[in-house]
Parts: sequence; structure tokens; C-alpha cells
Amino acid sequence: MSLPAFAECRPFALGIELELQIVNRHDYDLAPQAPDLLRALQRSALPGRFAGRSTRFSVELATEICSGHAEALAHLRELRDALCQAADRIDVGICGGGTHLFNARPAVPRGPGPPPRTLAQLWPELGRQSALFGQHVHIGCPGPDQALVLMQGLGRFVPHLIALAASSPYEGGVNGGFDSLRQRTLSAFPLVGRAPFVLRWSEFEADFDRKALTGVVEGLDDVHWDLCPQPATGAIELRVLDAPLTVEKAAALAAYVQCLARWLRIERPFDRLLEPGVFDDVVYVFNRFQACRFGLDATFVDPSTHEHRTLRDDVKASFDALELHAMELRAEDAIRFLRFELAEGGNDAAWIRNGVAREGLLAEVVRQQCVRFEGGVP
Amino acid sequence: MITSNMLAEIADTLQIVPWPPQPDALLASAGVLILGALLGQFAERALGLPRVVGYSAIGMMVALAGFGLPEGRLPVGWRLVVDLALAVMLFELGSRVHLRWLRRNPALGLTSAAEWVLSLVAIYAVLRLADLAPADAAAAAVVLSIVAASVVGRVAAEAKASGQVTDRLMLLTALSTLYGVLALKVVSGWVRLGHPQFGIEAIAQPLYTFAGSLLLAALLARLVVALAPRLDLRDENGALLLLGLVLLALAAARALNLSTLLVPLAAGVMLRNATARPWVWPRHFGTAGGVLVLMMFVVVGTAWTMQTLEAGAAVALAVLLARGAAKGLVVVGLARWSGLEWRQGAALALGMLPLSASALVLLADWYVLHPESALRIAPIVLSAIMLVELIGPVAVQVALRIGGEGSSAEATRGGASR
Repeated sequence: MSLPAFAECRPFALGIELELQIVNRHDYDLAPQAPDLLRALQRSALPGRFAGRSTRFSVELATEICSGHAEALAHLRELRDALCQAADRIDVGICGGGTHLFNARPAVPRGPGPPPRTLAQLWPELGRQSALFGQHVHIGCPGPDQALVLMQGLGRFVPHLIALAASSPYEGGVNGGFDSLRQRTLSAFPLVGRAPFVLRWSEFEADFDRKALTGVVEGLDDVHWDLCPQPATGAIELRVLDAPLTVEKAAALAAYVQCLARWLRIERPFDRLLEPGVFDDVVYVFNRFQACRFGLDATFVDPSTHEHRTLRDDVKASFDALELHAMELRAEDAIRFLRFELAEGGNDAAWIRNGVAREGLLAEVVRQQCVRFEGGVP
Repeated sequence: MITSNMLAEIADTLQIVPWPPQPDALLASAGVLILGALLGQFAERALGLPRVVGYSAIGMMVALAGFGLPEGRLPVGWRLVVDLALAVMLFELGSRVHLRWLRRNPALGLTSAAEWVLSLVAIYAVLRLADLAPADAAAAAVVLSIVAASVVGRVAAEAKASGQVTDRLMLLTALSTLYGVLALKVVSGWVRLGHPQFGIEAIAQPLYTFAGSLLLAALLARLVVALAPRLDLRDENGALLLLGLVLLALAAARALNLSTLLVPLAAGVMLRNATARPWVWPRHFGTAGGVLVLMMFVVVGTAWTMQTLEAGAAVALAVLLARGAAKGLVVVGLARWSGLEWRQGAALALGMLPLSASALVLLADWYVLHPESALRIAPIVLSAIMLVELIGPVAVQVALRIGGEGSSAEATRGGASR
């Protein structure tokens, strides 16, 4: 089993997938109504598609390939409106957020039969047992080697992205102390975290073939690295983002990734990190954990200088450095949006914590999440 | 050797009066609770049925032993239990009725109106064929057209069901109860119009009940909204306060001769729709409400005798068939348009089978208004309630399973690995 050839794709083209929660309108717990929702969707031409997932209380929305922020935002809004209209017809709510605030599903007992033998069998089962909702961003790359270089380059910014997108401070009714409980849960699963450090496609293929020989991995769908090449579409995929509470935030985050990609590719500011042995795993893992746990208040260890600073400062510094690329890609609005959020509280996890403190009722906060997703102000 | 005289002396010394002890209401309640809980548990664990089946079975055994109520006229204490428990359940049901949904999905409102009207017509036709006078037939048709809020609410809560079939079943049940209460007043007015001496009363009375009940319901809803932010309804104390408020409104409804069905139901609906904030409280407001609900199912189970069945079972069976066909035709017929699969439509129709406490209360209301007419329709109404007493809850359970919405269904599916 070998990987497909790396397809051609316009550099920096964007694709966005959002995994969303379906909740009932009575007590705002998760509602297993994805089939009803998909049936209720009007079959009109939309700039993207909807799909079910391995659980019935979640629906996935994916845009077509977009050139930049404005187009992605327009697509997301159109898809969002269609989805919310269908949700109204069956009286359910749709909301973002990496986890549901209080859903306490009983542990799903395994049916008869042997335990999963391959990751392809394991992932759907894990998906059913843990209700996690993320945003995936695809960035087009001119070729396979460039894709791997970009992938490793973006590794420095994985903590930034985790912290900006974190929206899962609560799970099962409990404040778990993390900004992203979704990442905490995911980290217990196999083949997650940092992708192997290789910069040539031939080496990547060889490495993957060795993995496939174990009989555990069949394709790239079986690995859930933070960043992963998608040869079939000629892109790399970023999977560390929690599903944000609004499509505006989703579009802004995707545009931020696009700007980072252009900055890394054109100015090559961190090329020293691509030398073997420079960007240590310890730094990657530490920064990543800090971001999941403390969000933007995390300590960030600069992988090049090993200097310690707050993640918030490094995020701000990245916004400043991206200015030119944001202009080139027409993503100024996106960066402005993120700057504003950074000044307000930082991320959706902070908003959720504030909401819980203000309302004292988790169901009411989920209702407000639904209002925010629809584009309203709670 | 201890003689009964010695025992009496000992009892006298210990001031145990009266001696020998007399069985009283306390003993009966204790017996009902213990047996009900045991049988409910048995139904759930051993047979996989809803617990209410066990509760109702206790009542049916009491009736089988010859202590049933031949006319369905509940003694004062029992009526109180039914009123209280039903108020709790109707308030809960009402608070799940989302009126905006009816606007967003017009097919749903049409389903509700059509299923009720068609059932009413079908039942009326059967009863007329069975030689009932038009007024009697109309009253009985109204009483039998509604769906049992107690059974639907209880079984769905027990299964922790969630989904389209559950939500719609609750909506249709609540609306049919609403139609039934109003329609019975209209029928009453119509009957009285036939008697010249009742001219004004015929119109004033339904209007008073209707407007008064809604006003009282609005007051209750306002009171809850005003008090809710100050306490957490999910904790025991908050839930008890809510229970107290519902009971207070019920007391006022009884004192003012308003509808004991309409007040809690409408209050729940108003609460749900006047505010966006979700209303979360323990099922039946905790254990206190749970006790009432158990007793209610037992009491309703006793409302028949063998004579009742002999007099009414045949017609009741025909009525049930016509009712089921009417509801099934509309609900299944409109399923696709309203956004359901056929399978879900069939499940929804099946779930509308139960008849229980709310029909009994409507009959009791009819007794107050027109005792002779009520006596004539009682055998049919009671037989119909009795016939679906045990299969009604099972029908709801099966419906939720077909819809894939019971908790057990979710677990099974989750385990079936792809």
C-alpha cells in the first residue's frame, strides 16, 4: 500500500472543514439527529457540501476550494445559513465549540466481535466514544517537497493556532482546567501530535511504507498528526483547531494559516528550524501542551533561541510580521478580527468561561453558542 | 399463653388506639408505593418494559379484585392525586412545546390539527353508529381524541429519548390535550344551548374557563420567570419551589372552577415561549413529583370493573381502531412533507396510541357539567382507557425504538462496530 501521487494544486488555495454540534432546543444537550438534518437540507446549489460523521449528533461542513479570506467567508456564511435553516425545520440548534459543555453520554459498550485491528477500524469507534469537534484547514502546495517544508515550518505555529482556536474548556459539565480539552482527549489516541521530521517526499513515502508494513496503518486517513500532507488534493491539512463559535472566526483562522504559509514560503524567516536536530521535540511538545492548557497565557519557548515569553506576545509578533502578506492575500480583515479578539479575551474558551460565570447555567451558554453560530448576538 | 385480652391490655397501656389497628389511607398508600416500585422495577428489569406498565398493573389488579370504580368517578383524595401528578406532567410537557417550530415547519401544525380533527370525526362516527345520541357521542369523541400526556411524557423521560419522533410526539400530545380541553367546553355549551334556561351560561361558561385558565397560567409563568434567576431549578430546593408554584396554581384553578388540565399545560407553554433561556429541572421535580406520578398511574388503573368492560369494551375497541387509523393516516401521510422518513412517521403514529389520566380527568369534568350524559359515555371511555392501559406505554416505547431514539437503541447502535 503506497501513497497516491501528489496532485497539483494552486499554491495557498484554501479549503475549510468544520465539525459542528447538533443540540436540541429543549435543554441544549447533544441531539442525535444528523440524518434528519441532512434530509432537511434543501438540495440547492451550495459552495460546498455537508456530511454526517461517525456520530449522529454532529454534522460536517466543507467549503469548496477558495482563493482567500473573503471568498472563504462568503462560502462559509452561505453554507451556515443553509444549515441553520434546515436546523430550524427540525427544531434543533447548531453550534461550534471543540466539546459539548455538559453532555454526559454513558460509556458506549462495545458490541460483540474482536477489538479493532487497524486504525481505520479504530478511529470511527473512538469518534463515537468521544464527542470532539474541530476545524480542518487545507492549504494548497505547488509540490510534495514544498508541502513537507511548509508542514514542518508551520510546526512552530501549532501552539499559536491551538491557543487562538481553543474552545473546549468544559466537558461533561466540568471545567477541566484546559483551554482545549479536545486536544487533551485527542492526545491519548494513537499516531497524533508531531509528524515525522522529513523534508523530501521520497523519504516520507519510504517512512510511510515502513509503517504500512506493520498492518496497522493503511492510508493517511489513519494518522492524525497536527499537520499532515494530503497528496490526493495537493495540499497539507492542519487539524489542531477546535471548532470555533462563529464562521467569521473560522474564516479568520484559515486566512491566518494562509498568511503564515506565504510568509514562511517567501521570506523563509525560520529556515534554521528545518536543519536536523534544531527544533527539538521537547520544545514542540512543551509549547503544544502549554497552549492546550493555558491558551494565550501559555509560556512559549522560542524553538530557535530557547527564549521564554508568553504565547500572546509571540502571536502578536506574528500578526505584525504578517502585515505585508495579509495585504497581498487580501486577508487584512482576518488579521484585524484576530487582533481584536486577542485584545478582548483571546479565544472562545475565554468567552465560554465568562458565559458560564455570568449565566450559571451551562445549557444557557450552549444556547448562546447557537445564537453566535447563527450570526446573532446573544 | 397470650390471649387477645392481654394484647388489648398491653395496647391500652401503650396507648395504641384504636385497637385492633384499622387499615387507613396511609397503609394503602404505603402498599401502593411498595408494590408499585417493585412491579415497576420488575417490568423494567425482567421484561424490558416501561415502569408505568408495572404501576398501572397494580391498579388493574385492584380493579380485578373488585374494588374498581365502575363510573370512573374518583373519590376526592384520589382525584387530588391525579390532578397533582397530571399538573406536574402537563407543565413539563408544555415547557417542551416550541411554538416557533410550528411557524418554521407549517407541515407540523397542519399534522397536529388534521390528526385531531380526523380522529374526532372518526370516533364520532363510530359512536353514532353505536347508537349514542349526538351530544354524548360528541363529548366522548372529544375525551377520546386526545393523547395521554402522562404516558408519553413518562415513557420518553424514562428512555431518555431524544430526537424527531420524541419531540414531535410531545408537541402533538400537548396540542391535542389543548384542543380537547377547549372542545369539551364548546360541546358543553352546545348541549346547553338546547336548553333555553341555560342561554347565557352556555356561552359565558366556556369563555370564562378559557380566559380564566390562560390568565392563571400566565400568572404562574410570570412568577416562575421572576423567581428563577434567584435560584437554581436543578437543585432540590429550587425544584420543590417550582413544584409548590405549580400546585398553588392548581389549587387556584380548582377553587375558581378553571381547567386543571389547561392551567399547567398553558403555563408550561408560556414559560417555554416567552423566554429564550432553557428551563432545566429534575424530572417530575424530583422524588416528590415521582411519588405523585406513580400513584396517579395506579389510580387510573383502577377506573373500571367487569361490568364496565361488558358494557363498553366492544364499542371502545371500534373507537380505538378508528382513532388509530385516523391518527395514522394523517401522521404517516404528512410525514415526508414535514421532514420525517416513513419509518419515523409510522413510529410517531404508533406513539399516539395511549389514553390515560387526561381522558379520565376530562370525563370527570364532564360529570360536573352533565352527569347523566357522563354516565352514558363512561363505560366506553373507561373501557378504552383500560384496553390501552398496558399496551399504550409499550407502544410509545416501541415507537421510540423504531425511531432509534431510546437510550437502549443508541447503546446498541454505538456498539455495532463498522
